[in-house]
Amino acid sequence: MMKRKWGMAIDLDKCTGCGACQIACMQENNMPIFKDDSDIPKRVAFLNLMAVTNDRDMDKKYGEVRIAYIPKMCQQCEGSDPDDPQPPCVSVCPVIATDVGDDGVVSQIWSRCIGCRYCIVACPYEARVFNWWKPRYEGDLKESLNPDVSIASRGTVVKCTFCSHIWKRERDRALAEGNTDINAVEYTPACAAACPTGAIVFGDLNDSLSPVTKLSKDKRAFRLIHTVDEKEEGQKKELHKFVKFPNPKVYYLTSQTWIRDMMRFK
Amino acid sequence: MKKIERRDFLKIAGGVVVGGATGFVFSGAPFDSLQWLVEWSQDQYVPGQGDEHFIKGTCQSCPSRCDITVRMIGDRAVKVETSNEGCPMGQALLQVLYHPERVKYPLKRVGKKGSGKFVPASWDEALKAITAKINDLRKAGRASSIAAINHAHTNSNLLLERLIRTSGSPHVYDEACTCNLTRAAVELTMNKDGTVLYDLENADYILSFSARLLEGWGRDSDISKAFINWKRNGAKLVQIDTLSSRTASLADEWIPVNPGTESVLALGIAYHLLRLGKRSTGKNFSSWAQILFNLYTPENVSKVTGVPVEVMRRLANDFARSKRPVAVAGRGGTTASSSVAEIAAILCINNLAGNFGESGGIYLTPAASLGEPAYDSIAAESIKKTERSRGLDDYIENGADFDLLFINESNPAYGSTHGKRLLEKMAKASMVVSFATLINDTATYSDYILPTLSSLESLPREGKAIAPRYKSIHAGDIILRIAKGVDGISKAFPWASYGDMLGAVGRDGRAKPKNFTFPTDIFKKHLKDVTTKLNDSSEEYPLVLLPFEAPTVGNGEGLALPYVLKSIDKQTYSHGRLWVHMNPETAEKNGLSEGSSADLISKRGEIGSVKVHLTKTVAPGVVAIPLGFGHRAYTEYASGKGVNPKEIMSDEIDPVSGIADWWFTRIKIS
Repeated sequence: MMKRKWGMAIDLDKCTGCGACQIACMQENNMPIFKDDSDIPKRVAFLNLMAVTNDRDMDKKYGEVRIAYIPKMCQQCEGSDPDDPQPPCVSVCPVIATDVGDDGVVSQIWSRCIGCRYCIVACPYEARVFNWWKPRYEGDLKESLNPDVSIASRGTVVKCTFCSHIWKRERDRALAEGNTDINAVEYTPACAAACPTGAIVFGDLNDSLSPVTKLSKDKRAFRLIHTVDEKEEGQKKELHKFVKFPNPKVYYLTSQTWIRDMMRFK
Repeated sequence: MKKIERRDFLKIAGGVVVGGATGFVFSGAPFDSLQWLVEWSQDQYVPGQGDEHFIKGTCQSCPSRCDITVRMIGDRAVKVETSNEGCPMGQALLQVLYHPERVKYPLKRVGKKGSGKFVPASWDEALKAITAKINDLRKAGRASSIAAINHAHTNSNLLLERLIRTSGSPHVYDEACTCNLTRAAVELTMNKDGTVLYDLENADYILSFSARLLEGWGRDSDISKAFINWKRNGAKLVQIDTLSSRTASLADEWIPVNPGTESVLALGIAYHLLRLGKRSTGKNFSSWAQILFNLYTPENVSKVTGVPVEVMRRLANDFARSKRPVAVAGRGGTTASSSVAEIAAILCINNLAGNFGESGGIYLTPAASLGEPAYDSIAAESIKKTERSRGLDDYIENGADFDLLFINESNPAYGSTHGKRLLEKMAKASMVVSFATLINDTATYSDYILPTLSSLESLPREGKAIAPRYKSIHAGDIILRIAKGVDGISKAFPWASYGDMLGAVGRDGRAKPKNFTFPTDIFKKHLKDVTTKLNDSSEEYPLVLLPFEAPTVGNGEGLALPYVLKSIDKQTYSHGRLWVHMNPETAEKNGLSEGSSADLISKRGEIGSVKVHLTKTVAPGVVAIPLGFGHRAYTEYASGKGVNPKEIMSDEIDPVSGIADWWFTRIKIS
C-alpha cells in the first residue's frame, strides 16, 4: 500500500491561461535557457500550456468557437493495477531510470538515463522531453538555479516529477524540527503554488477527505484521453484486467462539453 | 636476402596488431578517451549551495502590490513564491534580476543615435552632464523644451513629474493605459482628476465591453480574486468582444460584436435602459436621453454593431434587474486602447444603473500626488506660458520639439503608434536620458542610459535584502540626485531618498463619484464618426486588424525574458515567424490557407511577413494579431522576433485624451 498517492486536480473553468504555472515550473526545475527558446522543437519544459479550440474540424460557426488552455505536465500514470504500478514509461525503461515511488510519483533520475527514449515513445501524453543539447544558462542566470534539482546532462530524458524535491525539502525541514512522522508532511508543487485563481489543487488521493480526492470524484472531472473512465463500473474492472490503461493521477475539471468531447476524439 | 613468406608476413602483421592493441590498452589511452567522453556527454553545472532563507516583501512591478516571498540560497535568489496571488510576471522576476543583458553601469552614447553603441560612464560624469543641460536650458529661457515619458506603472513617475515641472516644463506624459484613458473620461464627465475603480469583486453582473479582464486588464491579482468570487457567488460575466478571447471563452456569455463598435453598443443598451424606466439625476440627462432616442435607436445600433435587437434588449434587462451590475470599459488586456467617448458611454450606463459608490459598482480614486510644489521664477513663468498637450501621442505628433527628454522605464517608441515620429524627434534632441534595467527600443536612442533597480531589488523588505546588482540605483533616487544638481529647485525635494518620499504620497482612497454630467456634444456626432471610421476606404482595405495578447507575452514587456519565450505557443510565434489568426472564410477569399505567408498593409505602411492560422475564434473579415512582438532592439532575446503591429495600426488621436485609438485598423493582405 502506498503511503501517499499524490494527485492533482486542475479546474479548467477557473484557468485563465495566464501562464504563471508554466513560468513557476521552469524557475523551480532549472529549465535550460537557450539563446532562442521560442524555437519549439528545441524547447525543454515540463509543463506545457496547450491552447485548444473546438473548431479543429471546422464544423462550428464563428460565435460558437471557444478557446481553452490546458496545463499539461506528466500525468503520473499508475497503470491498470494499483498494487503493481506499471505506467507505460516505467515498463519500457531498460535501466530503471524511471519508476513509481511509494508516494505514487513517477520518478525520473536524469543521471541514470541512457537516452534510449523508449519512454518518450511509450508516453501517451507527450509529457517527456529529451535534452538534445546540453542545458545552458546564459550569464548571471546561473545565479537563479535551484540547488534541489540537478541539472540534466545532454542526451537524457527529463520530465515533471510533481516537484517531489519539495516534498523531500519539507520532510527534511520537519525532521530538523524533531517531527519524525515525515510521511505526514504535505507539500505543494510550484505550479499549484503559483496559480493565481487556485485552479490547480494538489494533494493526497489516498486521503478521502482531501480537496483533490473530492475534486477527482466531481461530476465535471475527466482525465486526458482516458475514455475507459466513461464505462460502467463492472465493465471498467473487466477491461482493466485485460487492457493496460495509463490511469493518470492528474484530473481535469470542466463544465464545457466540447472539452470533454475532444477527450473522446469527438 | 631471404624472401618473406606469406605466412611470416601474416605473423608479423598479426604481432604488430596484437602488440599495438596491447600497448594501446596499457597506455591508458582508452580510459582517458572514455573519461573524456563521459565528461563531454555528462558535463553539468552544479548550482552553488548555501543557507536557505526567505525574504518577504511587496512586489513593485505594478500597482497591485502583491505580497511575495523570495527563496534565497546564500545570497542567490532562486524562487519567487506568490502564494496564489499575482501574475506570471511575478514568477519571472528572477529573470529580470539576473538578466544577462542588464545595464550594469551608466552608459554614454558613442555611435550614431540608435546605433546602440555605448561606453561606460561614471555616475558623477553622467549626472553632471544631465544637470548641466537642465541648468543651461533654464538659463536660456528654454525650460519648456524639457520633457519626460513615464511608464504608466512606475513608482518614480511622481518624482520625475515634479522634477520636470519645477524645472519649468509641463511636458510630462504617461504611456497609455486603462487608467489614463479613463482619467480623461472622468475629467469630461465629472470634472475631477482621478480614475475609476471598479468594485468587480462584489459585482453580480459584469458587462465587459472588450475589456479582456482575464488577460492582464487592470490589476491582475484583484481580477483573479474577483473571478473566483464570481464563480463562488454565481455572478454572471458577459463579455462583448469581436474575438473569442480567453475572457470571452471563460465568460458565462459571449456577445460577438462588429469590430470597433463597442461604444455604439453601449449607447444602444443605454437606450433600452431608458425604455425600462431607468433615469438619472445627472446633469444634461434629458438632452442626452433625447440624443439616444433620436440617433441610437435599436435598428441603427443593431445595424452598426451586428448585435440583434433582442439580444441588446435582453442584456439591458439583465443589467437593470441585477442587484449589483457593473459595466466595464477599456478595450484590451495589458495594453488598452479606447476612445474617451466609449469610456464615457459606459460610465453613462453605470450611472443609469445607479451603481456609483455602491458595492459592486464604480468608485473614483484620486490620482496619486505629491502636492503642488513651489516654483521658482523661471519655472513659474515658463509653465504659465507653455501649453501642455492632451496626452502622449498628441505631444509626440503636435507638440513642439524637445531638447532634453527623460524616458522613465518606458518604451513609447515601441508601444505607441506614433513611435516612429518620436524616434525622429529623439534623434534631433540634444540629450535623451533613459532610466532602464534592460535596453529597449526607446533606450537605444538615448545619449545616457542610467541603470535602475529591478523589481526584486527594490522590494521593501523584512530581514536581509536582495543587494542591488552592479551599479544600479532606484529611478527615484536617480531623480533626487539630479534634482540636487539643478539650481533653484532643491526646495521642492526635501526627501533624502526615494523611500522617504513614499511616505509623502497621498494614499489612494476611493470615493463615490459625484456631479455626473452626461456628455452630449460628443455623442451627437459619435455615431456618424464611428460609421465613417468603419467604412473609410473599406474598398481598398477590406479587412480589419484587431489586437490580442498571448499568455505571458502580453504587451511585450516580458519578451526579453527567456522563460517567457519558452512559454509561447506555436500558433502565436514559431519557426521565427509571427502567426496571425483569421477565419477560414477570410482566408479563402484572399487565397490563403493554414501556414501561408502574408504581408499586412494599412494606410500607414506594411509589415510582414506573418504566417496565417485559420480559426473560427476570429470573425470573418478580421485579422487578429498578437501584440508584444517585433521589437527592433530589446536584448538579444526579444529583438527581431516577429512584427510590431503598432507600426501599421491606426494613429488617429482621440481629441479628448490625446492618446491614439489603435484598436480598429483597416488593412489588406498581399
